[in-house]
Amino acid sequence: MTDAEKIEKIKRLLGDKILEASNPAVRRVFLTVAVKDLVAVVETLKKELGLWFICTVSGLDKGDAYEIIYHFGDTPGNVNVRTRIPKSDPHLPSLCAIIPGNILYERELQDMFGIVVDGLPDPRPLLMPDDWPAGQYPLRKDWKFDRPQEIIPGGKS
Amino acid sequence: MKFQIPIGPQHPALKEPISLRMTVEGEVIKGVDIRLGYNHRGMEKLAEEKSWIQNIYLTERICGICSHSHSTCYVQGVEKLMEIEPPRRGLYLRYLVSELERIHSHLLWLGVAGHEAGFDSFFMYTWRDREVVMDLLEMISGNRVHYAINTLGGVRRDIDEAQRQKILDGVAVLRARSEYYFKIGANEPTFVGRLAGVGPLTKQEAIDNCAVGPVARASGIARDVRKDDPHAFYDEAPFDVCTADSCDVLGRTVVRIKELFECYRIIEFILKNLPAGPVAVRAPRRAKPNEVVSRYEAPRGENIHYIVSNGTEKPERLKVRAPTLANYPATVVMLRQGFIADIPLIFAAIDPCICCAERTVELVNARSGEEKTVRFSELRRLADERFKRQTVKRNVEWPL
Repeated sequence: MTDAEKIEKIKRLLGDKILEASNPAVRRVFLTVAVKDLVAVVETLKKELGLWFICTVSGLDKGDAYEIIYHFGDTPGNVNVRTRIPKSDPHLPSLCAIIPGNILYERELQDMFGIVVDGLPDPRPLLMPDDWPAGQYPLRKDWKFDRPQEIIPGGKS
Repeated sequence: MKFQIPIGPQHPALKEPISLRMTVEGEVIKGVDIRLGYNHRGMEKLAEEKSWIQNIYLTERICGICSHSHSTCYVQGVEKLMEIEPPRRGLYLRYLVSELERIHSHLLWLGVAGHEAGFDSFFMYTWRDREVVMDLLEMISGNRVHYAINTLGGVRRDIDEAQRQKILDGVAVLRARSEYYFKIGANEPTFVGRLAGVGPLTKQEAIDNCAVGPVARASGIARDVRKDDPHAFYDEAPFDVCTADSCDVLGRTVVRIKELFECYRIIEFILKNLPAGPVAVRAPRRAKPNEVVSRYEAPRGENIHYIVSNGTEKPERLKVRAPTLANYPATVVMLRQGFIADIPLIFAAIDPCICCAERTVELVNARSGEEKTVRFSELRRLADERFKRQTVKRNVEWPL
């Protein structure tokens, strides 16, 4: 299936749920959907196009919103589903019911951006240590790391 | 009676220190809990502070064994962002190093698998042969591990005719040795019996958990980025996607041995068709605002980088997903209903980074809370003992 045929098929299946579809490079399809349609779109893509394999989920800090991109592996090429959520209310539905292998990527999003993924089977922190202070999300653009001053027990002689 | 066995966190079996807490009943593993982050170095954040060139060397340090995979995946993405096309000779040399790295990684893994199965002469054979490919890599790049051969717009070193001949000779030696491993497998029923049926992962489970690389291919899923999303010249190179349908550690071994032969084919194709000309073009310092998804088949599976540029000398965002992370959910499934004795083997079947020296496993008695620290070598000795007592699975056959 060529990229143009793929986009046409997706548009036929999902209609106005696809806000934007583009094909910036060979074998790369980018779709934009609203966050309320995300679960329905992914379900259809898996069932009708056989996109069962999620490569990863990327988060992007866009100032007043987060952009979340789901990268699906296809044969051939790949399909990327993009959605935006406002920073003031960062809630995202979990896709684990459709693709169970997505869990680690969603947990990573929670750790790194402070996005709340609703319906996650296991919402514990994934990468951050147990004593990580609450409200610190490293991949936000306004987050800066201040190295705490090193204290040598007994002092330096 | 239920026990909990924490493995790690200072346990380098899975590329980075990881904590696996296993709930066992008798000898059967009932549940596995994975905790990550003990080696989280914040590289994605760090990459936003560094220039495009500096990031090549940063991405190379993501992994020690497949270092070239990450830098290649990054470089081929950034080249698209900068809209430069590396010369053909540069591309051929870049992926020549890729395939040699795949051989070194698979030979390393085979040795580890032999070691964990209690077949130490196999381990010594494969690791001796691995020196052949390590020497070739050192000859090409000057380094044994971090080759640092990639640059934006091509590669940093060229090879001459004598080196080309040396690589072909080395590949001929390795091919003969790999054929010998085939025979060993076929004539060594204890080895096959030890691997068969261990760490089962059905095709449906592999699909649900989005497994990648040899783990997915051993479960009958013919996915390979080099075929599905051919970068550079891979749409012309002669190779097949190797699969197995036994869905166990034996299948993963078979897939890796088969892949070795495909690597030799690709290397011979590269060296036979090596174009003349320059190896690199000059790259600009900045990239226009854009985004790119770069995929690459690393020895362990699909590697994906998502790179966003904003018109400056530094990336806006670099998202990296290494293949091992994608295989963790599948690992949980493989370990479930397995035996404690199989833990080292199932570990080894996912990731070849198990080569580090001595590890400790702590056995916790759930009832009394008493902890007992066992060295990993001791655990392996117990495993070997258990399988010495067991009758060999005589009906199992070497599938090649």
